[in-house]
Amino acid sequence: MGSTAYISLKDVVFSRSGRRIFDGITLDIPRGKITAIMGPSGTGKTTLLRLIGGQLRPDTGSVQVDGHEVPRLKRKALYALREKMGMLFQSGALFTDLSVFENVAFPLRVHTKLPEDMIHDIVLMKLEAVGLRGARHLMPSELSGGMTRRVALARSIALDPELIMYDEPFAGQDPIAMGVLVKLIRDLNSSMGLTSVLVSHDVPESLSICHYACIIADGKVIGEGTPEELKAHPSDQVQQFLQGQPDGPVPFHYPADDASRDFGLGGA
Amino acid sequence: MLDRIASLGRLGLDIVASLGRSGRFLGGVLAGVPRPVSGFPLLVKQIYAVGVLSLAIVVVSGLFIGMVLGLQGYTILSDYGSESAIGQMIALTLVRELGPVVTALLFAGRAGSALTAEIGLMKATEQLSSMEMMGVDPLRRVIAPRLWAGFIAMPILAVIFSVVGIWGGMLVGVEWLGVFEGSFWGNMQSSVDFLDDVMNGVIKSVVFGFVCAWIAVFQGYDCVPTSAGISSATTKTVVYSSLAVLGLDFVLTAVMFGDF
Amino acid sequence: MAQRTIEIVVGLFMVAGLAALLVLALQVSGLSPKAAESTYTLYANFNDTGGLTPRGKISMAGVTVGTIESISLDKETFQARVKMSIQSEVDNIPADSSAVIRTSGLLGEQYIDISIGGDMESLQEGDTFYSTQSAMNLERLISNFASGK
Repeated sequence: MGSTAYISLKDVVFSRSGRRIFDGITLDIPRGKITAIMGPSGTGKTTLLRLIGGQLRPDTGSVQVDGHEVPRLKRKALYALREKMGMLFQSGALFTDLSVFENVAFPLRVHTKLPEDMIHDIVLMKLEAVGLRGARHLMPSELSGGMTRRVALARSIALDPELIMYDEPFAGQDPIAMGVLVKLIRDLNSSMGLTSVLVSHDVPESLSICHYACIIADGKVIGEGTPEELKAHPSDQVQQFLQGQPDGPVPFHYPADDASRDFGLGGA
Repeated sequence: MLDRIASLGRLGLDIVASLGRSGRFLGGVLAGVPRPVSGFPLLVKQIYAVGVLSLAIVVVSGLFIGMVLGLQGYTILSDYGSESAIGQMIALTLVRELGPVVTALLFAGRAGSALTAEIGLMKATEQLSSMEMMGVDPLRRVIAPRLWAGFIAMPILAVIFSVVGIWGGMLVGVEWLGVFEGSFWGNMQSSVDFLDDVMNGVIKSVVFGFVCAWIAVFQGYDCVPTSAGISSATTKTVVYSSLAVLGLDFVLTAVMFGDF
Repeated sequence: MAQRTIEIVVGLFMVAGLAALLVLALQVSGLSPKAAESTYTLYANFNDTGGLTPRGKISMAGVTVGTIESISLDKETFQARVKMSIQSEVDNIPADSSAVIRTSGLLGEQYIDISIGGDMESLQEGDTFYSTQSAMNLERLISNFASGK
């Protein structure tokens, strides 16, 4: 297992503004597979991606990507490593002052010295892969949400990365757009052999495409394995999350004082 | 009582922390020497956005301020029968003070607020983050060209402001109120010194340009990435820039023209 | 907008800035482009220079013929010694001319006016005006008038 892990986190502790978000997470993400990281909202799934990308540093513990200890990397090495990573942000994060074509061309222009006609061909190829070759002259403000994400996806694969991280790719998408994205993620993984990390709380879509999944809650990994293993997982908490039950080990109520006292009833 | 003292202390710490952040931020921006080949088009684009687009407001304001100076100066000076000194009065006020200061205030309102809002929105929509994840340092790619553009555009705008203002003053003084043109220019030329007055004014505007652009990009970069955060950052940009310009103007004037 | 258009506009903007600076230099501060205009130096001693400043103008019959280079104190006579540079074309200032400090308007600039004498000889490089008239001191004038002298 250790040799095939592309990313491995060991005992990662991270806290922000006094709140402990990760309390000793240990996780291996295998090379060339799609790994889904799931968990309730607010458990810091996006934070996890930022730790992997080196935008945040853990308090303790180690984050290794392709054998590099990310938090210890010097600026230059970190930026070099990031060229091998693609990340799809929740909002797409297209540059609003550039056209679709220029957005996809951006990483190529910055990181390579390719001639213009080659950049042109690569960009069209990437846009073709996401089915938006015809939209290359549009500005980001003219795109729908699903198209924005597809353009962003084309941009994040422009440099043919080894790793691509998807931050909530399905959130807020209509069923068709969702289906397109699911297909794209699967195709990209199989055709390019990418290591894919998928952060989501959309259980059925995630489980349908991932090879491996893990569920995070309360700063810890509460369950991991293949989709089949997870579905048969003994933990109540895992089952509650997978089946979307409103109450269970994760209570419906936010921790609060005794209700009778808040409503001014009760003894005293 | 203790709570109040504590909140005062917290405020002080916040201010110091924010100053420290902005200093480190500036260091980060300036550390990256702009790459001439890829950086140049970005810089040109920003000079366009920050400088050329501010030209209209600067020219119009300069014209009116010069004309007002001409009118006011004439009224006051004609009491002493020395309305021919109007040229030197207009030129000195504009070149030494109003040119750099008013341009900087207009710049903060017109370009500074736009810079803050733009960068703040880029932050809110994760554009800065995604740039970072693409292995591109937003400090160099986004912030540095804007900082340099402000730095370059401000003195140009201030000089244009002064010239337009002097021309406006001449329009009123010479064409309208009938001050003799020869004494208008003659008085001006004998009292305005190129190094002491014009260049000191230019130095002032260089400093103002730097400070205004710095405040604007820092407020944008440091803002809370929500709509309320961006709007408060934009307000802060205008307020802090204006205060910084006026305060620095006093210090610079004292150093340049004060007799110590 | 095409990058090229933007570049052209920004170029024009910078040219406008330079032109404006040039206007400030030449037209407003009177910096002369022909820096090495040929001049010769004359001196004059005054008891009181009043508000005379370097770069002030020197005129004859109202026409500017030179500028004041520097003003210093002569330690032996305790007079102010004014160094003037006069345009070379004006090379026939009579030797008995006098230098008078005058004020343009009531509160205007002070300048040196050369009132012409009648001598056939003319002042040469390095010469000193024989007769001078110091600045009219308004305060002294009023106090003289008030005390009835």
